[in-house]
Amino acid sequence: MVFAIEAESLTRTFGGKKGKEPLVALDNVELQVEEGELFGLLGPNGAGKTTLIKILSTLLLPNSGTVKVLGHDVVKDSQSIRRRINMVSGGESSGYGILTVKENLWMFTQFYGIPSEVAKRRIDEMLASFGLMDKKNSTLRTISTGQRQKMNVVRGFVTDPDLIFLDEPTLGLDVNASFIIRDYIRRWVKERQGKTVLLTTHYMLEADELCDRVAIIDRGRILACDTPANLKKGVSRNSTFSIVTTPFKDVGGAGQLPGVKGIEAKEQPDRLEINFVLEDESVIADIISYITARQGKVLSLAKSQPTLEDVFIQLVGRGLG
Amino acid sequence: MSDWLLNYRAMMGRAYPRILGPWREPSWVLFDIFLPLLGIAAFIFYYRSMGAPEVFTGFVVLGGAMTAFWINVLWSMAAQFYWEKETGNLQLYMLAPMSRMAVLAGMAVGGMFFTSVRAVSTFVLGFLIFDVQIQVTEPLALMAVFLLTLIAIYGMGMMFASLYLVWGRGAMNFSTLMQEPIYLVSGFYFPVKQLGFWVAAAGSIIPITLGLDALRQLMFAGSEVFAFLTWQFELLVMVGLAVLFLLLARYSLRYMEHLAKREGRLTLRWQ
Amino acid sequence: MAVREHLRTLKYATWLGWQIESNWTKPWLFVAYSIAKPISATLILVLMYLVIFSSSLTRPDIYAFMFSGNAFYMYVAQVLFGIVMVIHEDREHYQTLKQIYIAPISFYVYILGRAVPKIVITTIAILITLAFGVLVLGLEIDLAAVNWGLLALAMIVGLICICMIGIALAGVSFLTAKHGMGINEGIAGMFYLFCGVVFPITVLPQWGQAVGLGIPITYWLEIVRRAVLSGSGVENIGGLQSYSEAEIFLFLLVSCAIFFVISLAIFRYADRLARKKGKLDMTTSY
Repeated sequence: MVFAIEAESLTRTFGGKKGKEPLVALDNVELQVEEGELFGLLGPNGAGKTTLIKILSTLLLPNSGTVKVLGHDVVKDSQSIRRRINMVSGGESSGYGILTVKENLWMFTQFYGIPSEVAKRRIDEMLASFGLMDKKNSTLRTISTGQRQKMNVVRGFVTDPDLIFLDEPTLGLDVNASFIIRDYIRRWVKERQGKTVLLTTHYMLEADELCDRVAIIDRGRILACDTPANLKKGVSRNSTFSIVTTPFKDVGGAGQLPGVKGIEAKEQPDRLEINFVLEDESVIADIISYITARQGKVLSLAKSQPTLEDVFIQLVGRGLG
Repeated sequence: MSDWLLNYRAMMGRAYPRILGPWREPSWVLFDIFLPLLGIAAFIFYYRSMGAPEVFTGFVVLGGAMTAFWINVLWSMAAQFYWEKETGNLQLYMLAPMSRMAVLAGMAVGGMFFTSVRAVSTFVLGFLIFDVQIQVTEPLALMAVFLLTLIAIYGMGMMFASLYLVWGRGAMNFSTLMQEPIYLVSGFYFPVKQLGFWVAAAGSIIPITLGLDALRQLMFAGSEVFAFLTWQFELLVMVGLAVLFLLLARYSLRYMEHLAKREGRLTLRWQ
Repeated sequence: MAVREHLRTLKYATWLGWQIESNWTKPWLFVAYSIAKPISATLILVLMYLVIFSSSLTRPDIYAFMFSGNAFYMYVAQVLFGIVMVIHEDREHYQTLKQIYIAPISFYVYILGRAVPKIVITTIAILITLAFGVLVLGLEIDLAAVNWGLLALAMIVGLICICMIGIALAGVSFLTAKHGMGINEGIAGMFYLFCGVVFPITVLPQWGQAVGLGIPITYWLEIVRRAVLSGSGVENIGGLQSYSEAEIFLFLLVSCAIFFVISLAIFRYADRLARKKGKLDMTTSY
């Protein structure tokens, strides 16, 4: 197995001078991300996500532990790492307001030694895929927040890194801009062999939708690491169904059926909304029979799925924020 | 790809906004060329109110033009990493593979270009308005002294830039502090010889001190009597200073980057 | 009620200005900042004087004229610099200008509040410079002969005037790029040149003298000089020797009133233009 990221017993603290307690940002973190993975890092504010990304991207030194990125040690061999990585942060204000979008992007490609003609071709292609071609010659200070963030994402990918760190890349963006960015990330990993993404996000759905695996981090420790499906499976939860029907008699009787653990009904003028908590999904057939036998008509039936948010709340003990 | 090519491209990339920026924001023409001339004029009238010889008019115009470089070194070289940190660009520079010296060199090249436009404009206008008499007998030496002065002071600026990685805002005051005291010890507006040998010698660690003294000798007839050392000797010392500051900058940058990464201050804003 | 709110704004803006000026730096640096810079600027002029005259006693009147003018001119340079920097820093550096701008406070009062620490620090620097002049550089000031009442009056009028000019420049800074620094450098340079700061305005060409006589700083410096250096001969070389203190004070009041109106108009116009052009939150560094 080839790992894009390997961290062993990684610890990083801040402060702690003059007799003050140091702040432990990362506490014995163990992490392995395979090459070609789209790996998500979920955690509340202050969990240590950004500190971890800074260490992995050679911006910060660890206090202890070993960290390898693309096979190179982040402390001893940061130069080899830098040639093959890039990073995009949400809400970043990189670049110079006085330059155009194209010029800013070109400037950043030069820091990676990309020949100008190659850089310009790639910039054009990427601006087109992000719907930014009409802003190519606009100065940075005249474009919108969403356009600026798209440009930042282009900046990260245009150097064709083997590993990219995306730190809340869709932070504060509208649905459309977020969709374009997510779609690009997904395709980038799928279409190019061996490319790795480490994504941190506050948006659970984004992580669920994009990531092959997700690690949940809180107070500097990794609490769980698995595929979103496995993480959700691990959440102990009864089956919950929501059924909307036309009005029928003796709704409460449905709560007496074997296998029904709870029932909550809301009466509307022309329909009933009933939530059932069931021991087992098979009980749903008896409930439908019960309703139809009383001349009720099932208008809709939905099963509530456990989400990553449920996983998160169960592990961290609180929601994001 | 060789490191040389990477660093060359990085340097040109960083120089680009510096070279292009001024033409997109032409307000500097008013502020950076015409208005500083007023300060220069004040010093000229001050000398004239005291009945000073005409050669002093040339000294003031030269000193005034050269302040543009010193200000550029302090605020757009040394302090630039601090600004870059505040605006979020620094972390992108730091995770890119090029040498940090290449980024600084790019800022220096761009800064030198723009500042040369400013300084030359100031000088030419000052020359025309105040009827400065120039007599250049050694044009090559003049060019060499000018270029060496620039390389040495921008090398010094690169060294300061590394300090700003760690110092943060305290270093902004350092830049402010490095204006008038340096105009004094480097003799921007009077012959540095006036400070006495030892003070002038100590002031010569700032490369612009000897640069200005040599430029005065090479541009104005009758200024030899005010010279601190011969321009030939000053030229030699400046070669040494240029090399010294570039090496120090390289070493200091590495050390400070390591320190900043260890202490987590590389991307810490508003400190 | 409104006055109370203005006072509160002034208080907190002053507090903020003081935090920015003093808190983030080490005390030794702060002290050096208030001593090294002004003393160096003075020494440059002293050395320029000494290249021509070998001693301060050769022309004590010119020496005192230069020294006092340079010292008090620090108010002009530093306060203008401080006020322009408020806009520059709040807009580009801390990026808080827009929040302050939309807050229900008077922006003038906010700027003035931010200027107060600058005035305090500059006063310290001026006192240190004058003390250094007297103790080390052969400047002669007879404290018993100082006209304190005239000095106090002139200081109040002069500082109000300088702050108003600063507000006009702050307005212009709304519209300019990073070169905002250049405005202060240039305007301060203009006053330095035309207002008889280190040399008598009589050295200037006729048109230059006319410009100088239209700027309140010229009269303010003349009054301050006469108040502080009464009897040293400075009143005979500034070019205003034919006028009495009362007459010069009147010129000061009238020219200040005119500048007050002009400054306010410039700020309002620039403010409107900045909103029109969307420049209140631009960042321009490169």
